[in-house]
Amino acid sequence: MVDSALSRPGQRERYDSKLAQIDWVFVGLLATLTGIGILLLYSVGGMKWEPWAFKQLVTFCACMAFMLLLALVDLRVWLMGAYWFYGASLLLLVAVEAVGDVRMGAQRWLSVGGFGFQPSEFMKLAIVLALARFYHECSAKDANWSWKLLFPAAMIGVPAVLVMHQPDLGTAVLISLTGLAVMILAGLNWKVIAAGAAAAAVAIPLAFEFVLHEYQRQRILTFLNPEEDPSGSGYHILQSKIAMGSGGLLGKGLGLGSQSQLNFLPEKHTDFIMAAVCEELGFAGGFMIFLLYGAIILMALRMASLSHSHFGRLAAAGATATFALYVLINGAMVMGLFPVVGVPMPLVSYGGSAMLMVMTGFGLVLGVKVHRYQELPRQASIFQRFE
Amino acid sequence: MADPSIVFTDVNERQGAFHRRIFLMGGVTAFGLFALTGRLVHLQGVQGEKYKMLAAANQYNYRIEPPPRGEILDRNGKVIAGNRPSFRVMLEANLIKNIDDTLDQIAYVLPQTLSQRRRILRDINQSQRFVPTIVAADLAWEDFAKISLYANDIPGVVADMDEMRTYYYGGAFSHVVGYVNKINAKELAREVEQTGGKPDKLLLHPGFRIGKSGIEKTYDVQLRGQAGGKKIEVDARGKVVAEDDEGSRPAVGGKDIVLTLDADIQSRAVEVFGEDSGSAIMMNCQTGEVLCMTSSPGFDPNLFVSGISGPAYRLLAEYERLPLLDKAVGSTYAPGSTFKMNTAIALLAAGVDPSERVTCTGVYRMGNSSFRCWKPGGHGSVDMRGALKHSCDVYFYTLCNRAGVNGIARTARMLGFEQTFPDLGIEGQKKGLIPDTAYKARAFKKDPTWHPGETVSVSIGQGYVNVSAIQLATYIARIANGKKAVEPYLVRKVGSELEDHMSRFRDLGIPESHIQIARDGMYMVSNDSDGTAFRQSQLDLGPNIKMSGKTGTAQVRSYGSGTRKAAEWKYKDHGLFVCFAPSDAPKYALAVVVEHGVAGGKFAAPKAREIMRLALMKDPDIQKRIIGPVSTAVDTAALKAGAADPEVDTLAPEPLTDNIRSD
Repeated sequence: MVDSALSRPGQRERYDSKLAQIDWVFVGLLATLTGIGILLLYSVGGMKWEPWAFKQLVTFCACMAFMLLLALVDLRVWLMGAYWFYGASLLLLVAVEAVGDVRMGAQRWLSVGGFGFQPSEFMKLAIVLALARFYHECSAKDANWSWKLLFPAAMIGVPAVLVMHQPDLGTAVLISLTGLAVMILAGLNWKVIAAGAAAAAVAIPLAFEFVLHEYQRQRILTFLNPEEDPSGSGYHILQSKIAMGSGGLLGKGLGLGSQSQLNFLPEKHTDFIMAAVCEELGFAGGFMIFLLYGAIILMALRMASLSHSHFGRLAAAGATATFALYVLINGAMVMGLFPVVGVPMPLVSYGGSAMLMVMTGFGLVLGVKVHRYQELPRQASIFQRFE
Repeated sequence: MADPSIVFTDVNERQGAFHRRIFLMGGVTAFGLFALTGRLVHLQGVQGEKYKMLAAANQYNYRIEPPPRGEILDRNGKVIAGNRPSFRVMLEANLIKNIDDTLDQIAYVLPQTLSQRRRILRDINQSQRFVPTIVAADLAWEDFAKISLYANDIPGVVADMDEMRTYYYGGAFSHVVGYVNKINAKELAREVEQTGGKPDKLLLHPGFRIGKSGIEKTYDVQLRGQAGGKKIEVDARGKVVAEDDEGSRPAVGGKDIVLTLDADIQSRAVEVFGEDSGSAIMMNCQTGEVLCMTSSPGFDPNLFVSGISGPAYRLLAEYERLPLLDKAVGSTYAPGSTFKMNTAIALLAAGVDPSERVTCTGVYRMGNSSFRCWKPGGHGSVDMRGALKHSCDVYFYTLCNRAGVNGIARTARMLGFEQTFPDLGIEGQKKGLIPDTAYKARAFKKDPTWHPGETVSVSIGQGYVNVSAIQLATYIARIANGKKAVEPYLVRKVGSELEDHMSRFRDLGIPESHIQIARDGMYMVSNDSDGTAFRQSQLDLGPNIKMSGKTGTAQVRSYGSGTRKAAEWKYKDHGLFVCFAPSDAPKYALAVVVEHGVAGGKFAAPKAREIMRLALMKDPDIQKRIIGPVSTAVDTAALKAGAADPEVDTLAPEPLTDNIRSD
């Protein structure tokens, strides 16, 4: 089947032609990356499938199937569901505030039928979809600079404040940055971006002093000077740096990393798994993973830019931005370039809900590529009705 | 959509902006990943060595393996101080969340730890990282079995086996061998000073014990050995994951020390003393080896190894017979009549004819003073040998000023008084005092001149004269030897190296004919039926083996004759006895001091005889003479003339079989 077949209406609605349009190289890269992650989970689990590697494999298979399924979903469904999804996620965040479980000192979890989940995870994708829809219905002029930008600002600000209040600084920053990325991609005025950056430079020290919790402040202080208290708060960063630094070119070998095997490395299976990778597989392993991430992100951005619809472009690019932010923040964190904020390395770190959201995002990206010729009706936006 | 054309351009504008910006976003992401890779290169390449070292420091630890302390053996290879396995319970504080709870759990099984709670907590606070703290040591097997059962369930509690110093003869060697205990701050500071900086890590190990007294202290470094290091792999909580045998250095055990002491003779000496207070020292008068060196009453050094309790220690410290004092070297006594051989030799050196007779009427008058002989009626006419035999005071009173106090003092110093013996290897030796005119001038500023009347006291070992038991033993060994100024020593071998002391012995510097007269006097004391120790000196070892001795009584304080018997124990006189045997070929010299033992002949001499008998019977050469065919009875006259058995000159220290365990 050739691409031109897609230009024929009717033909492109068939599922077999849609499946053929899925970028299988991209899927292969995702599987390779997750495979390396599972290998490392097998290693840090004491060269055993339990407790992490096997579960991660099962989760990945399920998520992969889900992602491929999502890739076949018509973009109109995404477009129509965008605000509903956003609204539901926002409601769940409010619910967390009211009845959520307190785990590890933070109120982040909702329990439904024995499964715990974090609504803030949904919000990462919901914000992308909602903003994409907003900008889809918005003119380039308005997207550049107008009073209407108060809406996207509020759409980002409200969930960010709610998540911050849980408190979960990492996710709040991630939601804000993702939203900001979509706003910039949609064509926000450069002068406004520059002014915002300047304002942030002023606001961050103030926020540090008045908004952040004591433990968050401590994390940032520790990041600035980890050697000050190597057995206390600086322990995480220092041990992570030791693990990575001692890996050398080819690493110590799977299952042979002293830092990760002997538990000197904290959270070795989740947030700090990159340190275990670089210890056991060395620079070769770390570089390989960064190459894979780079390839995945650039391919995803390319897929986004192929779309004929503004919604598709922004949604796919926004989902990719979330992913890229995860990678960069986590990478900087484990190497001691960024404070410890509790952001996992997507696909490599152990964790079901993070994996689900990432794969959902890539389902959207693949779907945007599959439906790239689809023209979405640019409905009269709520603002245009008054013009 | 009011104006389609505007919308069309708007769409193109939106698309164009998006494409420019997504290109930028791709660039930013790629740059970010490039920066992360650069950081990885920095960490693994530039700083790699540093982090490799830090990772190794995390992963590996050296656990000190204390070496087994060298054993202390007697001359026949019997173990005096050894090591035995001991069961103990330790806490690894870094694995424990709540120390109090854990200690409660232990106390449930081992109630005895309750009373030591404060000590344990202090030890935990002072312990080093990864060094466990001992909670209870030397457990009974039942207790150990119980705690072992629970130890697995209580994190941080370790029950294992250790070596503990044991003194197999209990109190018999308490002073001479000494004991070990935990190192204290002062000793640690001294060790640090000696090694110049860092202390040996072994010293800080909870199982390490340092010699606190006696041979254990003097030869501590040799006994200590070298600590081994066990390379262990630990996890983040300090739990041992694996042991690396290749990276480990085995502990080198301390050197065994072979003493000159004979455990049998030592035990016999302790036995005959019973609860009497005093000291017995036997030397080989040819070699200087000390065969027995006791201080009674003793104490059980095993009590001190694991830490003696306060009440038990107070009992020892407050007992009036002073069990903690080493009376062999640390107490001085007036030698009394045992000093008379010295005076006699000094007189001979001053040219007094030994056959010159003095008539003893029981009292000697000098100016306004009168000096009584111990025998109220006097001894009649005595020559030098007779004066020794009867221990006649008047003889020495009369003649002493011919030698003068300086003459007596010079001889005394040649014979071993007023000195310490560094080769002995026992600390706390008292020098004692041998007075002379210089001493008087130095010590008595108001009356610096020496009066002849003071010489009278000195001549019979009273007055200012003060000697220790080890000096008395050396003195008698030198008289018995007659040629060499033998010095006492306790250590035959350190490890496999023989200690050489004999080659350093000086010549005595006294004509043997003079010494012989003193020996004749001593022979008569023990073997003439009217000698002062005749009855107490009978060895019953046949006609060949005789003992020569001399009694002595040291006044503790002056008292009237009427109160003697009523006097309390601590005001009674000291009884002394010095002797050597066999008389014809002297080999063993022995000095016995019985504190407050009233008179030398009464309490000291019988003890000396028992000790001497055992030493003689154990000696294979002398055994031959005891049981062998009686060839020609050595008659008294021959001995007196100094024509002793030729064996005297050829007698050399017999080689001892090397029966140290080699391990």
